[in-house]
Amino acid sequence: MRTSILSIIALLTFALAPAWADHHVSTVVDGLDNPAGVAIQPETGHLFVSDSGASRVIRVVDGKAQDVITGFPVDVYGKGPMYNIGPLGLLFLDKNTLVVGGGGLKDGEELLRVYKVPAAGEPAIGADKMAASFNLAENDDVKGEGNFYALAAIGNNVFVTCNGDDTKGWVARATIKDGTLTNYERFLATKEATEVDAPVAAAISPRGELVIGQMGEITVPGDGLLTFYNAHNGKMLLNLATGLSDITALAYSPKGQLYATDFMWTDTKEGGLFQLISKEEDGKQSIEAKRIETLDKPTAIAFGLDGSLYITVIGTGEGDAKGGKLLKIEPGL
Amino acid sequence: MRYITCLLFAISCATAGAADEYELQYPLGLKPMRLPKDNELTEAKIELGKQLYFDPRLSRDDTISCASCHDPKKGWSNGDHFATGVRGQRGGRSAPTVINSGYSYFQFWDGRAIMLEGQALGPIQNPIEMDLTLEECVEKLNAIGGYRKQFQQVFGTDVTSAGIAKAIASFERTVLSGNAPHDKFKAGDESALSEAAQRGSKLFFGKANCSACHAGPNFSDAAFHNVGVGMDKDEPDVGRHSETKLLGDRGAFKTPTLREIARTAPYMHDGSLKTLKDVVEYYSKGGHSNPQLDEELFPLKLTAEQKADLVTFLKEGLSSADYPDIEPPALPK
Ligand code: HEC
Ligand code: HEC
Repeated sequence: MRTSILSIIALLTFALAPAWADHHVSTVVDGLDNPAGVAIQPETGHLFVSDSGASRVIRVVDGKAQDVITGFPVDVYGKGPMYNIGPLGLLFLDKNTLVVGGGGLKDGEELLRVYKVPAAGEPAIGADKMAASFNLAENDDVKGEGNFYALAAIGNNVFVTCNGDDTKGWVARATIKDGTLTNYERFLATKEATEVDAPVAAAISPRGELVIGQMGEITVPGDGLLTFYNAHNGKMLLNLATGLSDITALAYSPKGQLYATDFMWTDTKEGGLFQLISKEEDGKQSIEAKRIETLDKPTAIAFGLDGSLYITVIGTGEGDAKGGKLLKIEPGL
Repeated sequence: MRYITCLLFAISCATAGAADEYELQYPLGLKPMRLPKDNELTEAKIELGKQLYFDPRLSRDDTISCASCHDPKKGWSNGDHFATGVRGQRGGRSAPTVINSGYSYFQFWDGRAIMLEGQALGPIQNPIEMDLTLEECVEKLNAIGGYRKQFQQVFGTDVTSAGIAKAIASFERTVLSGNAPHDKFKAGDESALSEAAQRGSKLFFGKANCSACHAGPNFSDAAFHNVGVGMDKDEPDVGRHSETKLLGDRGAFKTPTLREIARTAPYMHDGSLKTLKDVVEYYSKGGHSNPQLDEELFPLKLTAEQKADLVTFLKEGLSSADYPDIEPPALPK
């Protein structure tokens, strides 16, 4: 226990070169409608984005968006502001197999879907043409699950953050078998562990721990948590306040540095990309969230094969134009 | 560190007396409170705050103290659906309990004040509560030798409004309720809750969905939700919306603690529900429907027995034998 916590701390620690010293943000694609997920295709390095409000998953090649999967169900999130959401989290099991977390159906009916993706240049497929799909239905004891926001994999396990039963705050787990998924089930009751709502962001630490960004209440600033769990048995290893408000995404850079996006629901002008740096306060392990970039409603991040960081933001459209963007920060983080 | 600070501020440390520092004792089930850095607890400050809290001279006609509306004999509330201030004037919202209010960052039903220090001067200046300007209040208290002397001892100044706020807030932080049958049960004492209360507890943290919002040691997520109360009126109290102007906050109020809830009827921000039975009945129907109704409210379809069990849990499980029944102190002359 002791060594494992120390090692986790070590993972957060080494901020050797100040990563925020020089970086360049550029727009890869714009005009997206509430993009809420990004993944990099193995081998090709192509970017895949959940263009959530537009009910599709796209591939971005040379700055151009191509439809890959279209026709996902779309639902409204929030009571004002309101966001149309359809497909959310994306994860490649291999070059041809993409897992898509849904957000457009009712809790309990919501689907985690596995697709064989068409190659670049081939026609898009319909959202109902999945190779497999899974839900977490209601039963006598628990509510149904929905909004499968973030996906992270290690070994044979895929972890999925859910947003149905707010008394438990489930992270679900599926097993990778024969190039697809099986056994999709509730795994970790994060709210019982942390007493804070809403597991949203997920990542795997370089040491193999499951790292969850707990969003907390959208009406309360500063309540976002970073929690490390043993990915095998779900045991909570470390739970830290971050000072961030609404963590939407987590990712480790190739240098092993941890980054998070904060949506900052109560004041979205303050949202951004942060590096989470370990520090000691009053003799206790804690986190400093160092602002790298201010961003307009960031939703997801992923590091590309070359170490570039890709970020989806909902943005603010002018008139009828959609403000969603895929942004890129050059390698170096 | 403290030693160095004292060297730098030798005079104020000498008078404030570092040895005087007060360790809050947290009853079973409660967690350490986040204390503001510029208002450490001391015995003398808490004692001063207690006098101020119970002193009707903080009102224009010497009739109303904080305790008039937040009475230790009435669950630190007032047993009425609205509050009555100077000259019998009535406000439009019910008086929340002060118990465990030190845990809330946001104060008031709509969160318009931050921390207890930010709240304490509000009622003094409110024309329908205590109706003094701060200058008048400070002048009045400075004319009372006993207060002048204590302010000199505690703050090294005559009476100031900042000092009043700090002292009252410090006292309020000591008004804690924990170690209730629920806490003992959770800590392993299986005889602490009756069978009915245990069934109620299971519902509370499960199917009845109460812990989606009434979560954590204080049974509050410290956030704002629209549970529909008063939303059937033509011009409803918009609650949090008046602060944030976010549509989603229309009709949202701060989730109140449920500790000692049996003592604080009537319930809700408008005191519209007389008994806990009425409250459970209200939730069972799913609350008054309105566009901003929280997603976590829906018809629960509870049986009569389940409703009774929930009420039993609230009454029996959350009422502590160590209720903070604090007697009014002798007031300074
Ligand atoms: C005339 C009755 C009245 C008096 C006197 C009064 N209060 Fe209140 N208090 C209220 C009401 C009503 C509210 C809720 C108002 C709202 O939310 O808009 C409230 C809210 C509060 C809260 C917020 C609790 C929470 O959970 O948000 C605190 C703390 C508090 N009062 C402390 C005090 C103190 C300290 C004093 C004396 C300086 C005081 N009150 C005097 C009626 C009163
Ligand atoms: C969506 C969040 C939410 C859920 C779910 C919820 N509550 Fe509440 N509760 C609140 C809020 C917010 C208030 C204050 C509402 C108001 O006054 O307008 C409140 C008020 C109350 C009160 C009155 C407290 C007081 O001091 O006046 C009680 C009692 C209560 N709730 C019990 C329950 C029980 C029992 C359940 C489950 C059946 C439940 N609540 C479910 C958010 C919630």
